[in-house]
Amino acid sequence: MSASEGRGSSSPRPDPSVDGRWSGLLGRVQVDRRLSRMAVLLVIAFAFFAVQNPQVFLSPINLQNIMVASPEIGVLAVAMMLAMLTGGIDLSVVAIANLSAITMSMTFTAIAASDPALAEQSAPLLVLLGAAVGLVCGAVNGILVSRVGITPILATLGSMQVFNGMAIVWTGGSVLYGSPTALTAVGRSTVAGVPMLFIIFVVVAAAVAVLVNRTPVGLKIQLQGANPVAARYSGVDSRSVLTRTYLLTGLLGGIAGVLFLTRNPTASADYGASYVLLVIVIAVLGGTNPNGGFATVAGVVLATLTLQIIASGFTAIRLSSFEYAIAQGVILIVVMISDQVRWRRRGGRPPTGRVGAATAPTPSPSPSLETDHHDQHHPVSGGTP
Amino acid sequence: MSRFRGPNNEGILLVILLVLVLGMSVANPAFFSVSTLFAVLRSSIVPLVLALGVLIVIISGGIDVSFAAIAVFAAYSTVLLTEGDPLGFGIVGAVVCALAIGALLGLVNGVVIARFRLPTLIVTLGTQGIFRGVLLTYVGAVYVANLPGPMAALSTADLVEVTVGNRRTSLTAMVIPPVLLCLLVAWVLRGTMFGRAVYAIGGDPEAARRAGFRVARTQLTVYVVVGMMAATGGLIFMIMGRSASPQDLVGSELDIIAAVVLGGASIFGGRGSVLGTALGVLLVQVINNSLILAGVPSAWQRTAVGVLLILGVGVQALAAKRSATKVHAHDEEGVAA
Repeated sequence: MSASEGRGSSSPRPDPSVDGRWSGLLGRVQVDRRLSRMAVLLVIAFAFFAVQNPQVFLSPINLQNIMVASPEIGVLAVAMMLAMLTGGIDLSVVAIANLSAITMSMTFTAIAASDPALAEQSAPLLVLLGAAVGLVCGAVNGILVSRVGITPILATLGSMQVFNGMAIVWTGGSVLYGSPTALTAVGRSTVAGVPMLFIIFVVVAAAVAVLVNRTPVGLKIQLQGANPVAARYSGVDSRSVLTRTYLLTGLLGGIAGVLFLTRNPTASADYGASYVLLVIVIAVLGGTNPNGGFATVAGVVLATLTLQIIASGFTAIRLSSFEYAIAQGVILIVVMISDQVRWRRRGGRPPTGRVGAATAPTPSPSPSLETDHHDQHHPVSGGTP
Repeated sequence: MSRFRGPNNEGILLVILLVLVLGMSVANPAFFSVSTLFAVLRSSIVPLVLALGVLIVIISGGIDVSFAAIAVFAAYSTVLLTEGDPLGFGIVGAVVCALAIGALLGLVNGVVIARFRLPTLIVTLGTQGIFRGVLLTYVGAVYVANLPGPMAALSTADLVEVTVGNRRTSLTAMVIPPVLLCLLVAWVLRGTMFGRAVYAIGGDPEAARRAGFRVARTQLTVYVVVGMMAATGGLIFMIMGRSASPQDLVGSELDIIAAVVLGGASIFGGRGSVLGTALGVLLVQVINNSLILAGVPSAWQRTAVGVLLILGVGVQALAAKRSATKVHAHDEEGVAA
């Protein structure tokens, strides 16, 4: 019943909608159907906008903007994916990220008031502080979910309100300015044309992928989500697994907060208010099973890039952000329906259409286990054409 | 004792509410006044109507985050359509129009959810983006400062007017619809086959199916009803606000869901009551009001509601844990009503 059983053991199913060359190419890097579909969607989106308005869309500035805008959303989506992997959800990640960015900015301003030079030097410490805030918030979630036993969707709904409320109280609802210039410089720097922020994102995603697929903790997280009962009988301490999962999502939230501040030297309580729902959309598009047990970091990274490409492509061909919202919703529902139809055609059991997150575990074998697990070491492999 | 507690801890909620009101009145005599009462009632109107819709979905075992988008879509479109009252139907025409739009949007949710058996959270996440996008792109994106005649007339209608000293306070007539809706929804949930079907599929869809309930059809109806409730809430919101903006009510989804859960509805489905939901909404509004009067910055409101939510569900979760470790002495008190 181990979640790693299927890893690499069965041949990948080529997607009929993909032409032979692509499926062959993708098959070689061992990607499952959802991942290859996401890659195809990304390529189609990229090609479409590149043809529609090449001057604007293919300009280096636009491509760099896509890579600068995706990391913060991507890291949050990876956090959401982890929570969903255990069959839970974390609605508080964005609030955690904002709280972390605000703490950093506040601390910087406080130090700078007495000693500006010291404040500039303290950039590395501030980054650690931001991550620490994320860990503390994650610990609160972890205790609520694993020790008190509150359903994740409710525990994080409550903690989201608390974290967000604290941020509002602390900032008085205003936008804070202030961040070490070193941090902003990192945010503006590029390596061989690739923004530093994007490289950080890839490194973080790769680290999470290794953690999920190559460590005992990752295996336990997968098993906990795939089948909590089997996990318990296999000697998995679900309380410690859940605590660690939410610690990790908190930490990723904190890192996202650092990225917020690195990209823009401002912080506010209501930054990215629409991110909570967007991040869930990305996680699900990336092939995460909201009922737990199956998710790939690579899929989430691809989904992040795809949505970001569509967002900037819509701007390039002069469509509004409202039309982008429509596209987002349509893509989500079409992808979900196509999954469902495919399962039915294969005669498999569709995942129970209940509350997306945090439903009672289904004791029957989850369909997610039928899908291949695979190497996720290269989150962007096959992604960029 | 257990009789007073009620099937969903409504009794406890009522005690908390009374203690809060008493405590606030002792701490600040200004709190205990007709104007505070009216202010609390006034601010509860829209959340309560929306919460009733959410309650039905949650009892059925689903969750809906698109109701705020539906509310704005239906109400704003109605305002644009009935501008100048072209057909002369007055307020009845406006209400029918809003309900029809709400039902249609709810039908979209219902069809996707019931036909394809998809997770309700994900589907409504998708549709809320679609609804909001379609509204702003194709219907309109401008702020309407003047409501059509029949609606504007209702904005200023008062139900009661009380003069205390030299201050006049009045209660808007808009409190009537939520009260009627509460009674209606309570009756539907308790006394009709549809209501029992909602509890049944929320408790266990498979058992409900074997008992002869039509799960898909009930689910479909649930989302249509929620769409209509949301449309009503949106219309009341715009009538009370005396203006219409397509950006209204954005981001209020999770607050409403929190109030419903606070009112004792189980997020797993099968449990919940109108009384509990009404108390949950009132409790949140009383807290918001009393914090202001107690001199606490309004910024703390969100935190207070979050802490309350965590305490509420935390106590329930701990109690459930304790009873799970004990031998099952007696079954749960049946399906909640």
